[in-house]
Amino acid sequence: MSEHSGRHATPGRLVAITITLLILLSPFLWLLQMSFKSNDQILQFPPPLIFTPTLENYISLWHSAFSASFVNSLLSASLSTALALLFGIPAAYALSRWAGRGKHGLSFAILVTRMAPPIAFTIPFFLFYRWIGLLDTITGLVLVYTSFNLPLVIWMMQPFFDTVPISLEEAALVDGARTRTVFTKIVLPMVTPGIAATAILCFLYAWNDFFFALILTRTNARTAPVAVVNFMNYEGWEWGKIAAGGSLVMAPVLIFSLAVRRYLVSGLTAGAVKG
Amino acid sequence: MKNRADQPARAITRRKLLKASAAGAALAAFPAPLIAQTKPFAGVTLHGASFQHRFFTLLQKYIPEFEEQTGMKVDLQLSAFPVYNQQANLELSSGGSAYDFVNVTFILAARWVAAGLLSNLDEFTGDPNLTPAEWNPKDFVEGAQVPYRDAKGGTYGYSWEGGAMVMGLSRMDLMEKKGLKIPKTFAELQQVCAEINGTDGASGIVAFRLHHWNLPPYIQGFGGNIFRNPPGDIMPALNKPETIEGIEFYAKLLKSAPKGVLTYTEDQARQSLLTGRSNIFIHSSAWVTPILLSEESKVKDTSRVVRMPAGPVHDHPASNSQGLGIPKNAKNKKAAWEFIKWALSPDISMRLVKEHGHSSVCRRSIITSDAYRKLNTVNGQDLGALYLEVLELPAKGENYMAYRTVKEFPIVGDVLNKAFEQVATGQLPAKDAMNAAQDQAIAALRRAGTQL
Repeated sequence: MSEHSGRHATPGRLVAITITLLILLSPFLWLLQMSFKSNDQILQFPPPLIFTPTLENYISLWHSAFSASFVNSLLSASLSTALALLFGIPAAYALSRWAGRGKHGLSFAILVTRMAPPIAFTIPFFLFYRWIGLLDTITGLVLVYTSFNLPLVIWMMQPFFDTVPISLEEAALVDGARTRTVFTKIVLPMVTPGIAATAILCFLYAWNDFFFALILTRTNARTAPVAVVNFMNYEGWEWGKIAAGGSLVMAPVLIFSLAVRRYLVSGLTAGAVKG
Repeated sequence: MKNRADQPARAITRRKLLKASAAGAALAAFPAPLIAQTKPFAGVTLHGASFQHRFFTLLQKYIPEFEEQTGMKVDLQLSAFPVYNQQANLELSSGGSAYDFVNVTFILAARWVAAGLLSNLDEFTGDPNLTPAEWNPKDFVEGAQVPYRDAKGGTYGYSWEGGAMVMGLSRMDLMEKKGLKIPKTFAELQQVCAEINGTDGASGIVAFRLHHWNLPPYIQGFGGNIFRNPPGDIMPALNKPETIEGIEFYAKLLKSAPKGVLTYTEDQARQSLLTGRSNIFIHSSAWVTPILLSEESKVKDTSRVVRMPAGPVHDHPASNSQGLGIPKNAKNKKAAWEFIKWALSPDISMRLVKEHGHSSVCRRSIITSDAYRKLNTVNGQDLGALYLEVLELPAKGENYMAYRTVKEFPIVGDVLNKAFEQVATGQLPAKDAMNAAQDQAIAALRRAGTQL
């Protein structure tokens, strides 16, 4: 053990970390253990802590419409994140480099669309989508999520671009690089942590959305969060499937976050100690 | 490449002549009108929606037969109860035509009918070409049909499911040991619950957190109501002395229930009853009977299902039903009616009973049939007769279930739930809680734009 880590690993500190982790993780762990129980075991009181785990809930999920909903969620969240980044990053860069008088006004105007509650847009979206035939389609969901994530991307990415010295770009231009090359080869690599953090937030927003998916989808484009609710039947709630569905819904976000965690911390804390 | 018009006319070949002769022979053997009658809705895709329910899960097994008979394709969208209600409400109230038939949810029935969102089904039942006499609309239990009628008596839905509030007792063995009889009045219920509570680890009664379903029969039993005179007069009546008496009674009754009963879900109550940890559960027959008779039930031999006890003023056990209707803007109304007619036909209803033991049908002829009685007589009790009796009550004299079908009910129901919890947990005396609830209900209704 290194001197550095040994300095922190006092028994008291370990106990505190363990307790904190237990408190933080207990809802997730509870959900996870529920997903391996039968409905009867779940409803037993006091709840049995030692039980024979079953994969029945996951197997029945796999064979139900949930699997298609899961794919719908993956598609709509990934595509909308990609689209929001594709349009938002150049917009943020342009805004960062623009020295015009209306810069702050424009930035604020972009953010205003994110300030309104989603419910304010739901009915217009519903009526419009019905009119143009986008109701219950992945395309429809992707467009909604992109429109909501775009301001977020612009607002999050602009400060990252502000931190990239213009002199670097000027030097590259003097060396004969074209504007596109400067942007892709010099500027973008320097804001990678920002892109990772922004992508996570965009993905999370689209992945966790329930309200738009509830109103704008039916069966073809139904997403996982709405599909989980569908286990709350009139005759009773299928707790095991709800727990299994909930655990599966969490998985991609966890995997995505772990994959980009190296960038995530620096991305989310960038500028925090500037002053 | 040459245009078709530029090509020279070809001579009639032998093959073409043979083909034409075969087609002519086929047409002669099966005249066009006959073909049309065989598959009258060929090519039609019927879009329907409902919340998930065992009825539809079972019906889906038979739908291929219907598709085969009619030639249409049925696209039945099933969602969770709150999800369906949200989506259907939005679709219908915004003038959509996505659905050809819909479930008319009991709690939304009055507002959908009053707002003219549904088609008048009398146009279909009144036409002998569309509805044969044996389909007999009058065969549906009248009490279950009340929510789907407008002020003039027009019918906008036919019920596919009925729920009648009954009393399930799981531990008759304990009751008999203690010399207790099945309670028939509120007072007897109170006494039985208190005496059984704690015996052999069983609580006297169990309930669940949907107080605005459980509580009104007690309020009405004492002569109170949720509104002054629904559906016409929807001024809340939460602080009337009779209402307060009902609240106090129910709160006292739940003192014989397991700890934490106020937050119990239906599943928790179910589990408590079928394991014999609670003796009484008063809920819809669609719940109570299957609980007591389910495979996991540990109380099959010691259980009874009987009428809910009567109050000192009224005997008003709750009941409800779910219906199938056709949206006003549906694109395929005749096809939709064909589906409803088939799904609720005596034949399909009987098959559901016989092949799947599904008992909550609403056709009187089925409920009173020998086959139904044979399947639904448990420990000597004719459950069909009990179910029919309770389901029929709101159509006899006062429609006491009208409170549940007015659009203002959810708002007042929420207020009632909170007030009852304050009383049951001893935070406030019933009178104070209900006076406050009355003011809150009026304010909430006014905020929602209701004229009182």
